[in-house]
Amino acid sequence: MINGTVVDLSRIQFAATALYHFLFVPLTLGLSFLLAAMETVYVTTGRSIYKDMAQFWGKLLMINFALGVATGLTMEFQFGTNWSFYSSFVGDIFGAPLAIEGLMAFFMESTFIGLMVFGWERLSKGQHLAVTWLVALGSNLSALWILVANGFMQDPVGAAFDPVTMRMQLTSFPKLIFSPDVQSKFVHTSIAGYVTAAIFVTGVSAFYMLRRRHMALAKRSFRMAALFGVLATMGVITLGDALGFVAASVQPTKLAAMEGLWKAEAAPMPFNLIAFPDQAKHENRFEVQLPDLLSLLVTHSLTGRVRGIDALEGQAERKIENGIPAVQALEALSRDPKDAAALAQFDAHRSDLGYGFLVQRYAPDLSKVTPAQVSEAARDSIPPVAAVFWSFRLMVAFGLLMLAFFGLAALYTLRNSVQEQTWLLKAALWMIPVPFLADEAGWLVAELGRQPWTVFGVLPTWMSASTHSVTYMAFSLIGFIALYSIFIVIEMYLMVRAIRVGPSEHGDPGVHPAQPRPVLVGRPVPAAAHGTRLED
Amino acid sequence: MDLYAVAQVIWWLLLGVLLMGLAVMVGMDMGVGAILRYVARSDLERRVALNIIGPHWDGNQVWFILGGGAIFAAFPLIYATAFSGFYVVMLLLLWTMIMRPLGFEYRSQIAQPAWREAWDWVLLVSGAVPMIVFGAAFGNLFRGVPFHFAWNLTSFYTGSFLGLLNPFAIVTGVLSLSLAVMMGALTVMNGAEGAMFQRARGLAQAAAGTGLALFAIGGFWVHAMPGYRLTGGPGEGVPQTPLQQAVTTAPGAWLANFGAHPILWLVPLAGFAGMIGAWLAARAGRSHLGWWLGALAWIGVIGTAGAALFPFMLPSSTDPSMSLTVWNSSSSETTLLWMAGFAAVFMPLILWYTGWAFWVMRGKVSAEKIARGDEHAY
Amino acid sequence: MRTFLHFILFMVVAAVVIVLAAILGNVGAWYFAWLVGTTMIVLISAASAALLDAQEEQALGGSGVFDSHGQT
Repeated sequence: MINGTVVDLSRIQFAATALYHFLFVPLTLGLSFLLAAMETVYVTTGRSIYKDMAQFWGKLLMINFALGVATGLTMEFQFGTNWSFYSSFVGDIFGAPLAIEGLMAFFMESTFIGLMVFGWERLSKGQHLAVTWLVALGSNLSALWILVANGFMQDPVGAAFDPVTMRMQLTSFPKLIFSPDVQSKFVHTSIAGYVTAAIFVTGVSAFYMLRRRHMALAKRSFRMAALFGVLATMGVITLGDALGFVAASVQPTKLAAMEGLWKAEAAPMPFNLIAFPDQAKHENRFEVQLPDLLSLLVTHSLTGRVRGIDALEGQAERKIENGIPAVQALEALSRDPKDAAALAQFDAHRSDLGYGFLVQRYAPDLSKVTPAQVSEAARDSIPPVAAVFWSFRLMVAFGLLMLAFFGLAALYTLRNSVQEQTWLLKAALWMIPVPFLADEAGWLVAELGRQPWTVFGVLPTWMSASTHSVTYMAFSLIGFIALYSIFIVIEMYLMVRAIRVGPSEHGDPGVHPAQPRPVLVGRPVPAAAHGTRLED
Repeated sequence: MDLYAVAQVIWWLLLGVLLMGLAVMVGMDMGVGAILRYVARSDLERRVALNIIGPHWDGNQVWFILGGGAIFAAFPLIYATAFSGFYVVMLLLLWTMIMRPLGFEYRSQIAQPAWREAWDWVLLVSGAVPMIVFGAAFGNLFRGVPFHFAWNLTSFYTGSFLGLLNPFAIVTGVLSLSLAVMMGALTVMNGAEGAMFQRARGLAQAAAGTGLALFAIGGFWVHAMPGYRLTGGPGEGVPQTPLQQAVTTAPGAWLANFGAHPILWLVPLAGFAGMIGAWLAARAGRSHLGWWLGALAWIGVIGTAGAALFPFMLPSSTDPSMSLTVWNSSSSETTLLWMAGFAAVFMPLILWYTGWAFWVMRGKVSAEKIARGDEHAY
Repeated sequence: MRTFLHFILFMVVAAVVIVLAAILGNVGAWYFAWLVGTTMIVLISAASAALLDAQEEQALGGSGVFDSHGQT
């Protein structure tokens, strides 16, 4: 019915465009709040260097924001263009947060970002500060609603299947937005954005300090970002732990894949620090284990246990057997919505409807399903273990690395001697790609770990895609790759260029450690100084 | 009518409001992009034109995003069927639209003429193409779209890309483009002076004239075209799928709603009045009045299409009885009511702060200020 | 009278905020943590910048050299 190649190409296209979009989003989430912090200092102390800072980092934000908005358009439409069955099947629930995102958050963010950039001379200081705060709030509220939608895919609460309309329907909006997965996922992602921006700002500031340029601005930016980052990194790690705790109960297959856990052992369970999972043989080829840690991390107790993949596959087989009559009843209901016998059969088996769909990939005619097909589908119910396992370890390692870096950065900047620690400044430069890689790895853990489902336990990925031809998919995939490659080259070029040109300073006190001299912080700026732009 | 049917109609109306907002607000920015190379000849003039919409294009674009989100939330089956069916067209729309933010933000970053020239072309394409697609999509709704459903509501589209470029769709596509050009030109008149003002003034009149002619032609065409009529089904406000209704087609059926409720003729009348008024206002150089009349023209034109099609939203030419209507493609009552609550709170807020943003940035954009290197201008 | 009305207004706002915080802290503990945490992170970061200004002034041993109230 649906071509497997088309599904694969649709998945590749979605993953590529989402990962690409997610290069720009975290920086916006965090940098907008850093800008708000800088401008808050400007307004409360009146020192104009903080205005220069807000304007300089604001300029970099805009280069990033343009591509974030552009690639976000793709995401908004791709559910309909490439995942049409998914969209009609869960649109009743999934569409609502996307629409609310527009109403509540994106309108606010986009309207005020125009005023933030163009309104410096038209708004009072207080008004402009409020506008900047609203941009930061708006961008993070956007993330909130997107993650409410995503949270539904991970843990579909607050909804039920309606055999009359043949789709999932919303039953409780509060359950949807207050689901534990949504809550912890939102805070984790938003704060990961703060970390990303903090690394970016410390890295670029370190670049200036290494070259002894814009010292006052760089030192202040570094200080603010280091403190911002050290607290945010702690938050990200705390929330990551909370998220793992939630996954243990709502997505056991994801958790088992993250931990490379094939067979459940007796509590307290050991943690696989390093392992090479072999999905065909259901074992790890090489393991370095830390005793007791898994129970402690995932269940927050020494006696807690989580299920291994072997047990989960057995459970999936039972669910598939139970789900098959539900799909058959549904087909009868589609022909005659008033068929009472079919309705009764459906109600008896409805909890495993999704598992019935899962096996349909191998047995389109469910009346002839064989035990071999059932166990094939059950094997499918486990996500790609090695990929999830290693993405997870990469993300955690990067998180801990950033925590160590921010610890040192905060220490030295609080002593006001970071400008002399050349090694730390060089490290800061090398740290710039790290949060971006961690963000991407986090996306992979969350979304690869959700497979083979688009909506966990409810709708399999293979059914969700649109019924396009391979030609169409090849055409669109090539188009996206071509366009996005051009875009990233332009964006990187402009970003690096803007960083090299550096801030235009009006109130730089210019304190250099080598030659201390009295300076006037925040002295009034002569009007002519405003016209010193390098271009135009 | 029970509550569910009321909620369905409210969301159909709200979707109409969003499409009108999209047409007016995004259309004006796209119009400015499309006419940029004609109305502004030097780089300085082009920067004036871009800075007129500079503070607002981003906020305006959200009408488009919200439109997409609202269709998804309120009519998921339409979102799923139309977006996947019109795949190549949607990609065309998407690819041109994602270049647009870059055109605005990146053009001013480098002063080289070749760089700026390239982005000017990007702005032209990303202004004109989406507006033509927007209009052509509406045109195709009247002709019906070749799609059908399987038992579990998997949708299959059996048409081709070129089939969407039929003569009627071209008329509606160009109508949409001329209205956008008219609004873009009026916007340039609002913010610019001198030669640019005069060029925009001429263009606004020409575009309003073209729009008038095409709207009239479209009206006569629809009169003769086979329209769809709902003859049976579970009824209004009853949860259902598109597999349970009966639909017939008959020439002139698209005007049946106007026959049944003659007051609806006021809607196309508003379209004509808006275009004539915008023409006259542009001629008199009164661009602010012209802009509001232009907005009225959009409301009239989109309202006319909506009034003619109701309750159909996406008619199927493959199997008319599988056509998507307000009654069989909407979300559940719970979702529609929650969404209505959010819209009731946030729509007034949006209008308020959008109005405030335009108020803050009001007035002419001064070429001298830009030439001096005003720091935050595009 | 005006002051009194302001007082009442702010008390009402404070009461609403407390009620909202109590509700949010109950059903949406992580959302509440995000609100409090973000505010705290931003304010600590801002305060650290002000601290740097003070440190630099102290290091230069200058009082009166700096015009900390200079406005642009």
